[in-house]
Order: sequence, then C-alpha cells, then structure tokens
Amino acid sequence: MNLLLVGGNFRTMPIELREKLAFDGPKLPAALTELSARFSCEAAIVSTCNRVEIYVARAGAVVAPDADQIAKFLAEFQKLPYDQIRANLYALANQDAVQHLFRVTSSLDSLIVGEGQIAGQIKKAYEAAQLVGTSGVVLHTLFQQGLAVAKRVRTQTGITRGHVSVSSVAVDYVRQVHDHFGDKTILVIGAGKMGALTLKHLRELNPQHILVTNRSPEKAQAIARECGGQAIPWEQLDDALVEADIVLSTTGAPEPIMTRRRFDDILARRSRGTMVILDIAVPRDFDPRIHDGDRACLFNVDDLKRIQDQTLKERQQHVKPAEAIVEAEVKRFTNDWRRKKNGPIIARLTQEFETQRKLMLADLFPRLNGKFDDKDRENIEGAVRLLQNRLLHGIISALTEETPEPTQHTLLEAMMKLFRLER
Amino acid sequence: MSGMLTTFAAKITIMCFAASYGVAFALELWHFLRPRPILRYIAIGFGAAGLLAHIIYLLMHSLPLSSPTGSLLLLAFILSVFYIGEAIHHGRIAWALFVLPIVLGLIGLAMLREPSETSATGWEYYWGVAHGTLLLMAAVGVSVGFIASIMYLMQLRRLQAKLPPNQGLPLFNLERLEEMNRRAILWSFPLLTAGLLSGFALQAYQGILGQGWNNPRILSVVGLWLVVAILLYLRYRVHARGRQVAIMTIIAFAILVIALVFSHPSVTGGAS
Repeated sequence: MNLLLVGGNFRTMPIELREKLAFDGPKLPAALTELSARFSCEAAIVSTCNRVEIYVARAGAVVAPDADQIAKFLAEFQKLPYDQIRANLYALANQDAVQHLFRVTSSLDSLIVGEGQIAGQIKKAYEAAQLVGTSGVVLHTLFQQGLAVAKRVRTQTGITRGHVSVSSVAVDYVRQVHDHFGDKTILVIGAGKMGALTLKHLRELNPQHILVTNRSPEKAQAIARECGGQAIPWEQLDDALVEADIVLSTTGAPEPIMTRRRFDDILARRSRGTMVILDIAVPRDFDPRIHDGDRACLFNVDDLKRIQDQTLKERQQHVKPAEAIVEAEVKRFTNDWRRKKNGPIIARLTQEFETQRKLMLADLFPRLNGKFDDKDRENIEGAVRLLQNRLLHGIISALTEETPEPTQHTLLEAMMKLFRLER
Repeated sequence: MSGMLTTFAAKITIMCFAASYGVAFALELWHFLRPRPILRYIAIGFGAAGLLAHIIYLLMHSLPLSSPTGSLLLLAFILSVFYIGEAIHHGRIAWALFVLPIVLGLIGLAMLREPSETSATGWEYYWGVAHGTLLLMAAVGVSVGFIASIMYLMQLRRLQAKLPPNQGLPLFNLERLEEMNRRAILWSFPLLTAGLLSGFALQAYQGILGQGWNNPRILSVVGLWLVVAILLYLRYRVHARGRQVAIMTIIAFAILVIALVFSHPSVTGGAS
C-alpha cells in the first residue's frame, strides 16, 4: 500500500519541540496541500498536544514516499533545522504504520491510556484531509478502519472506563447521588486553589444556587463573583449546610471545621436529600465519620485519588485484550488490502484456466468419436475441473498469504510456494 | 394460513416464554461479565420474543385474574413490557438482571399452580374483573418500587463503601431511584385501596362480607395495603427517605408475592 508514517510524540519529543511542530489553524490545510503536491501522494496529519504525525501513501506506485524527504518537509514547513528534529522522529512503513495508527486511535499509545479525546482528534485529522482532498483510497480505508478499531476496543474492553482526574471523579460521585441540578444548591467553603477546577466542573451542572462562604468576606465575594454565586457570611455556614445539596470544601484550616456532633445537628434540621461533600482540603475540613452513604456522602482528596489510581490500574488490565484486538485488526486490514490488490490478478488467472479447460475439452470430445456417453463426459469434465481447482488453490492461497514486504524468491522457490511443494 | 397460526399459537406453552426470558437473562449476565453490545441486543431480542409468546399464551388461554396463575402470569407480562421498554429507553442500565428474575419467579410460581376457570356471570363477573385489574395494577407499582429499591440499596452500598463510580452494574443515581420508588408507591396506594374496597363490595354483594378473614390472600392484601400506607406516611409525614423506605418497599413486595400465591375463593371475576 506504500504507506509511510513520519512523526514524533511525547516519548520522543520534548513539549517545546512538539509546540513548534504543531499544525494549528491554517497551517494544516496548507501543509496537506503542499505534501500532496510535492510528493504526489495521499496525506493526512495528526497534530495534538502529545503528537505530530504525518501519514503519506501512494496506492499504485512502485516507489514508496521517503521518510527523510518527509522529515525535511516537516523541518522546512515549520522553519526548524532538519538536524534538530530528525533525531526525535520515528518512521514506520506499511503494516507497522497501520498498527501504530490503530494503537494511537485506540488510545493505547496515549500518555494516559484509555483517554477519550484521541479518537476524536484522529477523526478531525481525517476530516481535514478529506476537506483538502488529500485522502485517497489508502488513507480513507486506514482512518475509517482505525476509528472502527477504536470503537471496538472501547466497547469490548474497559480501557476507557472511569475518569482519571480528581475533579472528574468528584463530579462522577455527585452524579451517582443527584439526578438533576436545576433545583440544587452548591455550597463552596473556603478559597483553596485546589477546588477551582472541581468548582468549574460543578458549575457545568447548572445548579440553581452557588453559595460561597469564607472566613474572609472579601475572598468569598471574589469567588462568588468569579463563579456567578452568592457570598454569605462565615457565621451562616450551618444554615447554608442545611440547604446545600453539594458541598465543596477547600479551606486552609489546620483543624476540621465540621465535627460529627456539629454535623449531626445540621442533619437533624435538614429535609433535603443526600448531601454530597467534596472535601478537597488538606488537612481535611470534615470529620470523616460524617460519611454514611445515605444522608451524607463525604469524599476527601484521598478517596478521589484512590479512585483515580484504581481507574488507571484497571485500565492497565484491559491493555492486553485491547492490544489483541488491534493485532487482529491489523492482520485483517493488511490481508484485506492484499486481497484487494491481488484480486484482479487472481480473477484473470482463474479466467485463463477456465478458458484453457474449455478449449481442451472442446478439442478432446470430438476426437473420442462418440466412444463415451453423457455420464462419462460429465465425469471427465468433473475430473478436469477438479484438477484445475486444485492447481489454482495453491496459487491463490500463496497470493493472499503474500508477505507484506517484497521478498526475493528464486524461480524454484516461487514455484514451490505457488504449487505448495514441500522440500 | 390463519388455521396454521392458530395451531402454532396453541402450541405455545409457559415454558416457551420462560425459556426466552431465561436466555435473555443469561445473555445480559454474560454482557455484564464480558461487555459486548451485540449480547445486549440479542438479549432484548429474546426478551421481545418471550413477550410475544407470553401475550399469545395469555390470549389463547384467557386466564382469570382472580386465579393465582392468571394474576401471576399477567403481572409477569406487564413487568416484561416494563423491561423491554426500559431496556430500549435506558439501555445503559442492566434492566434484565433486575426485572427478569422477578418475571421468572412469578412464572415459576404460576407453574406451580393449576389454572382455574371462573364461574361468575353478569355484574358479578365484571366487578370481579375490575377488582382483579385494580389489584394487578397496584401490584405492578409495588413491583416497580421493589426493583427501584433493590437498585437503591445496591447504589447506597456502593456509595457507603466509596467504590469507583463506574464499577459494577450500571445503575441510576440515588435521587432517580428514590423518585422511581416514590412514584411507584404513589401509583399503588389508590389502586390498592380501590381494589380492596371493590373486593369488600363484591363480598357484600355475595352476602359473605366479614367471612373468610383468615383467608391468607385477604390477609396478605390487607397487609400489603397497610405496608404501603405506612410507606406513604413515612415518606410524607415523617419525611423518612432512602434506605428505610427501600426496605419497607421490599417488605411490601414480599407480601404482594404471598397475596398472589394464595387463591381468593370469595372473588370469582375473571379476565376475558
């Protein structure tokens, strides 16, 4: 298929270099057009924060694109010295390139295995190539298949299951308890920076109210302004807890601000459903004994990190089955491709055998001068057809099982392979 | 052609749809252990096939609602409809694992009993149908409440143990399960009350009111009504919620099963 991949990722290139090599904005269509025109090939570029990869292919050509030329193009296009980038690039051809793309799309080659963004990024890269018109029969099939493989890996293994950031895990827990948020109140206690990202995620749930309290009223006001909430005095903390459905606590207090006894009094005043408390503070703000899973669900940093680690660990267990799927799909892809490539030759060969068989029989039967009846004729025709099929079987199998890379055969070896002759 | 269909329909037995539901359950279990979307689709296919066989069986045999077999099979049928509907609407949730054991249990109980015929006619017959239908619809509510309660307790257990949010069976969140339970109980109570009153009215018409109070089915229906009434009281007056309500709903379902298993000699209405 004359497919070549030249690129680098977070393992081979530092972030500074990846930033310089990124194809953002109008650079991408320009580079694709230039690549296709200069090398007379199909082209697609995968450019994300963790990788820059150029895929080029020449379907019917004898000569495959050259890796050094593509690397030189990359350096020239991004205005970087060739020597500076070449050592950081890898080049893979044909089956290896197919395998690489399938692994990347299935997020097996990602910084965080199982992350969900990469398949979307690959799809965008493919769509960009389609838009510019640089994807042809090879890249079209390759990328389509790559996305299908990613879907298969995602659905048949648990590699993408769960979240791996503390704030996402926190929101996952909130969603385990609450169903709709339009009638919910979020209470933010303190002004710790660690809670900022979690608050951002919680705001995306569109709660009815966000209340913010802090020992410093100015800080409370500032955060309330930032998140579109309402600042309340620190003295009203207990009242606010009575009304809150979700609590995000991030104070810098050296001691817990909420003891079990104090919280029991608050619970006694509550008529609302289960309260989810996300205690992101270190040291912790809430007494851990508050957690009962029914009236109050308390999750602290350790809980959230434990889930994060567990998720990553669990994902690792799915790597092996995912790799097996990729392996099988690569094999299937290359076999399909070979069949497609050799199909016309096989068809011509079969046709030629068929013609020769018919000619031979048409010549034979008149010469036998009516010595055989119809049944004998049928038997002879059947035997000749069987012989033809047996001869063709070896040849067709040899063509479909052809190794991906061109191999040098002597005439004798080729004969032995085509006719399945053992030494 | 219609003759062939009738012959085919007549050959459908309880085992046919019980086996279909059983296969659907096994496939769903397999899907849980080794997720394959195709397994879920095949499971729904088997569930739907079971449902079709189930409805044909019910139509062909016209089992009376007053008989244990009739009410058990009809309740199992309605729950199967609920399963298929929810499996299509909320495909993420493993409905088959929660609903089908109940469906299979109800079918199993029905198979233990001999189908009985109704001898009632006229007004008495229709009154009996109304009574049976009301109790059956109430039973649907209690069963759905039971499914929601089991899911609720599982979700609660998971939160108490702080297990990873996406680990294990996919379930609705606590709030939704509580809402589902609340609606099911709210649906059941008036139907149960009306069903109970219609039963008493029928007894009064037959001149046997006050007799047979020691009958297990009357006792269990009254017991069920009491438990559901307590449930409503707990929820709306005491503002009890969550675990307590879930456990009470499970008790209500257990009483419902007892009520369904026992026959009701004083009510002779039937489904046509």
